[in-house]
Amino acid sequence: MIKELGSENEVIWNRWSKNAERAADRDAIIHWVAGEEPFRWTFSALIETAEVLAAMLVERDIGKGDVCAIIMRHNRILYPLYLAIVCVGAIPAVLAYPNPRLHPDKFRQGIDGMSLRSGLDWVFTERDLEETVRPSLEKPDSTIKGVHFPLEWKTGHALTKEQLERVITGHNMVNRDDPLLLQHSSGTTGLQKPVLLSHCAVLEHVKYYGRGIGLNEDDKIVSWLPLYHDMGLIAAFHLPLAFGVPTVQIDPFEWVMVPALLLDAVSTERGTISWLPNFAYNMMADKIADDELEGISLESWRLVINCSEPVRYESHKRFAGRFQHCGLNPLAISSCYAMAETTFATTQTPPGTPPSLLALDRVALAQGKVKIAQDGGQAKMCVSSGKTIAGCQVKIVDENRQDVGERTIGEIAIRSRSMFDGYRNYPEKTAEVLCDGWYYSGDYGFADCGDYYVIGRKKDIIIVAGNNIYPEDLEDVVGKLVGVIPGRVIAFGEEDKKLGTEHVSVIAESDITDDQRQRKLKMNIIQAAMAIDVSVTKVYLVSPRWLIKSSAGKPSRKANKDRILYSSETRGSKSNDYAGIEARHTNGAQVG
Amino acid sequence: MIMQELKRVILTALKLDDWDIKDETLAAQVPGWDSLNHVNVILAVENHFRVRFKPVEVLKLKNIGDLQTLLTSKLQKPV
Repeated sequence: MIKELGSENEVIWNRWSKNAERAADRDAIIHWVAGEEPFRWTFSALIETAEVLAAMLVERDIGKGDVCAIIMRHNRILYPLYLAIVCVGAIPAVLAYPNPRLHPDKFRQGIDGMSLRSGLDWVFTERDLEETVRPSLEKPDSTIKGVHFPLEWKTGHALTKEQLERVITGHNMVNRDDPLLLQHSSGTTGLQKPVLLSHCAVLEHVKYYGRGIGLNEDDKIVSWLPLYHDMGLIAAFHLPLAFGVPTVQIDPFEWVMVPALLLDAVSTERGTISWLPNFAYNMMADKIADDELEGISLESWRLVINCSEPVRYESHKRFAGRFQHCGLNPLAISSCYAMAETTFATTQTPPGTPPSLLALDRVALAQGKVKIAQDGGQAKMCVSSGKTIAGCQVKIVDENRQDVGERTIGEIAIRSRSMFDGYRNYPEKTAEVLCDGWYYSGDYGFADCGDYYVIGRKKDIIIVAGNNIYPEDLEDVVGKLVGVIPGRVIAFGEEDKKLGTEHVSVIAESDITDDQRQRKLKMNIIQAAMAIDVSVTKVYLVSPRWLIKSSAGKPSRKANKDRILYSSETRGSKSNDYAGIEARHTNGAQVG
Repeated sequence: MIMQELKRVILTALKLDDWDIKDETLAAQVPGWDSLNHVNVILAVENHFRVRFKPVEVLKLKNIGDLQTLLTSKLQKPV
């Protein structure tokens, strides 16, 4: 086990510096680009470059408490830039680089929302994005002071004594309880919740989660996860950097096009730990050809941790079966339950053991009850997300936030040594979820013999391939289309067993009855979703007043999802009482 | 110029009836052709035309015209 460094007043930069002194020439970050020799940042080179960049930040009046958005593609400079921002006490917020399909106005809307909510001060991006970002800066109520293009900065020089002193002065103002970073959820309708984490929270998490997974000197993390996601940022970036072990960083866009890249990197670099959302297990098991596995050895992989989507038994089984001949140890397949609000993990499968499994009665489960299935064929296999890690407490509560004990479904609540400091400038949202030191997650689950099983969520968020999609964002754009009755749209996630994730479906009320015009409207809905970077797989057009309203008078997502998917009237039956609706409703547009 | 056969394979993989596909069309402009579906489209093209693309070749594709050029080069190579 790596010696746990640190003192009571340690901030994260000090930890990185100590690692650079202790293991100067050791690889810190291996920047992986397909078809090229990887670029290797040693701990000392990373820190030295970060110091140079920190001096450049100080020269630009960037300092303690400034929120700095980083919007860059996979680039080796991103890492020392992130460290430099931390060094001067500013607050980095890594944001997703816009996908070409995302409309620039929608991208700017997201930036503007963040500016208003988080008090965004500076944007660090690439020249290609200047035209898109600049209008946000020029708005009268914008908090953004400037846009910088760090890829154009020259970093190959040593610091003068004066420059170094200015950096040190800035750095010495940073305290352990100060904010370290901001993580923004995605979204375009002002729903983003900026999670603020302190140095203390991240260092505590690194300590306890490091213990939970038995992190040691021989470990090497391999990741394709984006750094705007908590799993990529905390598990695959902060954790190894703070512990002093290497991390291999693969471009997420390259990985999703060539999933075998992860296996290639694990094999070449003798990687030991990776975190993956559930869909990645299916994707790699199904989409990697035999010839791509020639010469691949996965023997070094000791933990492949499933996180950020519901863990699916079938996905683990397919993955283990597909790669066992490459030396994958089935016991490496593991799971955890994590969220940005607790920095990252709260539960984890103990290393070297398989995730616990329970075969539950599907009918009872749908009624909110935990009952072991008597008939194996009808059982729902539930995979445990592991046991509580040190520094965390987990409880399952009812609607009155009272503990319900084991084998009863309720909301998962967490108390953690690495709890967030609230949503930035959002006290009302913070108060909704934080109470007496407990964070109420909005996820449903149950406990059994110390294992925690996550089975659903109170919130309507759709999780596609580990990314959160807010139905409100989609309903907002679809509801404005000609042919859709305003406000009469719902979006929801539909289980996609083949992909091992959810896909996005939309139900929209329309009075269009003509087949050709219906097809055109469906395509318009799909294209409107594309403009906010959401792929809609199914569109259901229904007649006016078809959607069931909630008590608040708005269409209910859950009730309408159940009606369209499970009700006898919509299961393709041709019963007379349904005929009028069926004529206008399509069981999946099948156009995307 | 995009071959009709390639266009048909792409549209089938994306479950689209029709879509205007030109050399300069980007994947992101075609409904359903998102990052998750990219691998499915490439696999469909490989399987239909019985060719294999190298990872780096796939990553270098900027638009559908590039895919057509790559495919043509593979089809012209003797087996």
